[in-house]
Amino acid sequence: MTTSQTTAAVSNPRPSSQWLITLVGVALLIIGCFLSWSYVPALLGNLSVNFFPGAIQIFMIIVGVLGLFFLLLRKGLFPGAHKLLDSARGLRALSVTAAAFMVLVVIVIGLQAPGLANADPGVFVTLVGALAMVAGSFRMPSDPTVDPITVHLPSWVEILVIVAMLTVVLFGAAYALGQEDGTVFSLFLLFLAGLVVALARAGLFSWFGVIAQRNRRVIMLGAFAVAFLFPFTQNGSDANMSIATQVLIFATTALGLNIVVGLAGLLDLGYIAFLGAGAYVSAMMSHSAFANIGWKPPFLVVVIISAIVSSALGLIIGSPTLRVSGDYLAIVTLAFGEIFRLTVNNLDGNNGPDLTNGPNGIPGIPELEIGSFNFGDTHNVLGIPLGRFANYYFLLLVVAAIIITVFTRLNNSRIGRGWVAIREDEKAAEAMGVNVFGLKLFAFAGGAFLAGMAGSIKAHQDVSVTPDQYIFLESAFLLAAIVLGGMGTVAGVLVGATVLKLLPEKLRFVADYRLLTFGLLLVLMMRFRPEGLVPSQRRALEFHEDDADLAERIEDAHIEAVTPMEGRA
Amino acid sequence: MDQFLQQLLNGITLGSLYALIAVGYTVVYGIVQLINFAHGEVFMIGAFGSLATWTIFFKGQLGLWVLPFMIVGAVLAAVVVALILERVAYRPLRHAPRLAPLITAIGISVFLQEAVRLFYPGAKSALPFPQIDMVTGPAFQAGPVTVRRSAVFVIGALVVCAILLWFFINRTKMGRGMLAVSQDPDTARLMGVNVDRIIAVAFAIGAALAGVAGVAQGLQNSNIDFFIGFMAGLKAFTAAVLGGIGNIYGAVVGGLVLGVVEAMAVQFIPGTFGGSPWKDVWAFVLLIVVLVFRPQGLMGARVVDRA
Amino acid sequence: MQQRSIVRLGVPLAVAALALSACGSRDAGTTSTAGSGTKTVKIGVIAPLSGGLSALGLGIKNSVDLAIKQANETNAVPGWKFELAAQDDEAKAEVGKNAATKLSSDDAVLGVVGTLNSSVAQQTMPVLAAANIAQVSPANTNPTLTQGADAAAKKRPYTNYFRTCTTDAVQGPFAAQYLLGAGIKSVATIHDKKTYGQGLVDAFTVEFKKGGGTVVAAETIGENDKDFSAVISKIKPNSPAAIYYGGEYPQAGPLSQQMKSQGLSVPLMGGDGIYDPKYVELAGATANGDLSTSVGAPTESTEAGRKFLDQYKAAGFAEPAAAYGGYAYDAAKAIIEAAKTALKDAKDVKSARAAELTALGKVSFDGVTGKVAFDEFGDTTSKILTVYKVDGGKWIASKTDTFK
Repeated sequence: MTTSQTTAAVSNPRPSSQWLITLVGVALLIIGCFLSWSYVPALLGNLSVNFFPGAIQIFMIIVGVLGLFFLLLRKGLFPGAHKLLDSARGLRALSVTAAAFMVLVVIVIGLQAPGLANADPGVFVTLVGALAMVAGSFRMPSDPTVDPITVHLPSWVEILVIVAMLTVVLFGAAYALGQEDGTVFSLFLLFLAGLVVALARAGLFSWFGVIAQRNRRVIMLGAFAVAFLFPFTQNGSDANMSIATQVLIFATTALGLNIVVGLAGLLDLGYIAFLGAGAYVSAMMSHSAFANIGWKPPFLVVVIISAIVSSALGLIIGSPTLRVSGDYLAIVTLAFGEIFRLTVNNLDGNNGPDLTNGPNGIPGIPELEIGSFNFGDTHNVLGIPLGRFANYYFLLLVVAAIIITVFTRLNNSRIGRGWVAIREDEKAAEAMGVNVFGLKLFAFAGGAFLAGMAGSIKAHQDVSVTPDQYIFLESAFLLAAIVLGGMGTVAGVLVGATVLKLLPEKLRFVADYRLLTFGLLLVLMMRFRPEGLVPSQRRALEFHEDDADLAERIEDAHIEAVTPMEGRA
Repeated sequence: MDQFLQQLLNGITLGSLYALIAVGYTVVYGIVQLINFAHGEVFMIGAFGSLATWTIFFKGQLGLWVLPFMIVGAVLAAVVVALILERVAYRPLRHAPRLAPLITAIGISVFLQEAVRLFYPGAKSALPFPQIDMVTGPAFQAGPVTVRRSAVFVIGALVVCAILLWFFINRTKMGRGMLAVSQDPDTARLMGVNVDRIIAVAFAIGAALAGVAGVAQGLQNSNIDFFIGFMAGLKAFTAAVLGGIGNIYGAVVGGLVLGVVEAMAVQFIPGTFGGSPWKDVWAFVLLIVVLVFRPQGLMGARVVDRA
Repeated sequence: MQQRSIVRLGVPLAVAALALSACGSRDAGTTSTAGSGTKTVKIGVIAPLSGGLSALGLGIKNSVDLAIKQANETNAVPGWKFELAAQDDEAKAEVGKNAATKLSSDDAVLGVVGTLNSSVAQQTMPVLAAANIAQVSPANTNPTLTQGADAAAKKRPYTNYFRTCTTDAVQGPFAAQYLLGAGIKSVATIHDKKTYGQGLVDAFTVEFKKGGGTVVAAETIGENDKDFSAVISKIKPNSPAAIYYGGEYPQAGPLSQQMKSQGLSVPLMGGDGIYDPKYVELAGATANGDLSTSVGAPTESTEAGRKFLDQYKAAGFAEPAAAYGGYAYDAAKAIIEAAKTALKDAKDVKSARAAELTALGKVSFDGVTGKVAFDEFGDTTSKILTVYKVDGGKWIASKTDTFK
């Protein structure tokens, strides 16, 4: 189909047959959701009520409404917007999602009800609607879109879009975390993934990305606001906050590792040891009955000491980099990680001095107390109770903010450029007068410093430290978080860390299979999307915002060349 | 002195096991510069393959004649898994940056461990390994040294495998092809060497030796579990680096040195820093010291920056 | 014109969709599945349901399940239906803590049976204590859990914690007395450095020396060690008459086998952590003569125990009750027993938790493993122990006695 025909199809006011089929599909989809799907009330959060959609029916209604939006877009209902979004591609992704979703629902009803005799007509109405959407949308021609770079909206519109987007993220996250039923959670994930893909296909994200680039400050502040507001959606429940704090600790540690791996290009397979060193120092100086150091300074001092001890270890681990590089360096760091774990496992008086209480670790670490604020108590803010984990969550958020600031500042400084130079070509960097060894050491020490800080809080949050929290698999997880999310970017690491910590917790209903799935996921990810979930392709555009042509060329070239090692924030 | 000899024997036994696994790391690295981190799991699969062979075909039989079948079972299982890995996971990533295969390997490790744990009957906890009478009966005494029968098997297996490997590499066309590819893959390809095949063969050789090591470990420790691949793999990798990664004989030497160091550390480091819990620490310290002062390993040729 | 018709079609559809989904309350339409007036109370289980120790953990879970089913059949607490809420701790402290957090945020949980490992209990206790939920362990033998870190000044750290098994402070000395009684005067000790293993060996060593024995070698092993030849070679020249091992069966079994194949043919003795059929399986044909102590009288040796095993069998669980089945059953019974007073006038589970703790401190009944009652620290008052010996591939009870 040539461009002129496509344009004709869009501007043609007469609805084409595929358009009508899709519309009918959307209508059936939505109508079906208002009918009962199953006789069995205990299934999928009760779908047995007519005119009263349950959670998963609402997912489908949202899909339907979005489909309707795309359809109306094709008719030029929202002037301007149809140039930005390719509604046909969006519709296709949407319809496939709907069809897959409904097939799964039918299977679940068939298996769990059990028997398809327990399915009500509603489920089939929706299924037929979804299939009609597939049939219609796949024959729809794509719309030509313009580069989002060239579109300038009033800044308040852009900010509004960001706020809307972040609000959706906040409530989506709160909803997903609140989901207890494993099947519903999985269906929600499918729905979410489908929605994201549909919007991405339609080009919304590249448009959103441009907006985000233009309003970096707003989005940073907004993201923090969302993160800050999250505990207030939990109504004092600790179950999700406990996971959220773990995600934050994991993410801050991964950000520290990102300095070493993502910026300086030094592969570190023993990074968890720095988190462990911070945690152990903090535990040994706590008021725990098992702590073996007599000196109990206030917590703020402990944080500093933990971080310093950690970065001292970083210096030690970094020192072989003078002579060792590449794979050898990776194995040296792996060996250091194991030495750390084995050492804290040993120092219990039987083997070496009694410092760490051996494999039992240091239990009974008291709650943090800063001033008169006890982190163990529930505090009421605006009538909303914030439990123990919420308190730690806020503290960790501050630490995360510090780390992100340090990271972005370093990234854009002389030091950051030095690291990138080392990463790209060490010899050339040295020839150009970059202090290679010093910068490498600084990367190790700096990364370790940040991890030590996180560790000192982790010790209190966890109540105890034990050596088996700092095994190699944890280092591998950290590395996986960075690679999964997109190397060298802050957002990527945050996404990667969230996915890696959250999914296993939420996928507990597949309890035994979650590590298996994790392994498979890593392999598939590397095979099909090695650049990560949030690749950092847009950096080049930052410098060429006004030159659309150049931006496109750079972007094209960049997409071709982009690989995890070369991606950058 | 008696204790020294005894621990030397213990160390060489342990080291032979490391060496058998280490060859797999080093062969693959020598040819594709890839750390096959999942190799430890291939070893574990080998051990389970031989256990499965015994359970299915020879349950209750403990005569020596069963052993060759068990070895074949182990080697088959290990080789098949390794070839699938190479084809499905590593080959598509051959030109990807170094991190991608590494992460893939970590993913495969977790996947294989979990697959065995979940799908091998009873593998959620350690499984006893059949105690072949001839190989695990009462130890015999050679002067002051107690020699376990399984130790004889392990050391013997290493010697036989090393000889076979030497023949394969130096006396067969395929072996010389491997040498060629490891020296210069592009030129080798131009000379008509099927590089893909050579790489697959490298994986297969490593896996075959790992399979033998799996049987050896089972006989030596009397039990296997789904997690044995991790520590053994790590140690074997250490051994390969110690000897100079890429150098097959280096892997053997590295394995033996590592084993002896561990055994000696248990016996001869006095005070509270000796004993079994520290032996792994000393092994890793040795690794770091060697790498810092002799980065190419004990027997490695001088390599410039394999980054 | 065409556009307007589309709007006419589309917008009402969307509005209708939103309006329908927004109005009314769904709860009105749902019917309660539970019978009228019966409220649900949950008993949690935190134990390793997967991993190396799952044989023990699953036995615990099933036994609690059995106790709950029986309580529901006999309508033990009128108006309340008991339910099992089992969580896997994978024998890992951090996983255990998450499991405890999950249970503590469930308002219907009254008590928890678990954990298997003392190290995991250290993490779950504070979490459950914060929610006032009773924890009754069938298997934690570490004395510090109930008596605090300082043995000289005993202080109970968490008042919500009870246990139905005796502690290492009793088990180790009991083993020492047995060996001395059997004429064994020189022993080498090995432990895995964990709370449990080290606690056993320390208590054993004190009593053994007091009784005139000598400890000729004291070694430790790392928790992931598989090959013990170096340690065995180190011990062997001291020619001990027995090895006392502090730890659990996944390492003890292979250790025994390797000892004997290296020519050190003396019995290995351990605590209840090695008293498991799996130990004999792992230790192989040469395990005969190896010894273990375990708390209480053998389950099958008492009337109540046999009855329990029969019922367990009749319930058709896939896994055997294993070493702690009886204790787990008694622990669940204790929670249910206390619930009889705590839940009687309670309007919900959450408000009954404090009363449950008080009631638990006072329970006293004859359980599967002997008399079930708790002292002021939450420890069981029963101090009966049994020595078992491997004979013909099985653990055979060799001596049951009350520890003095």
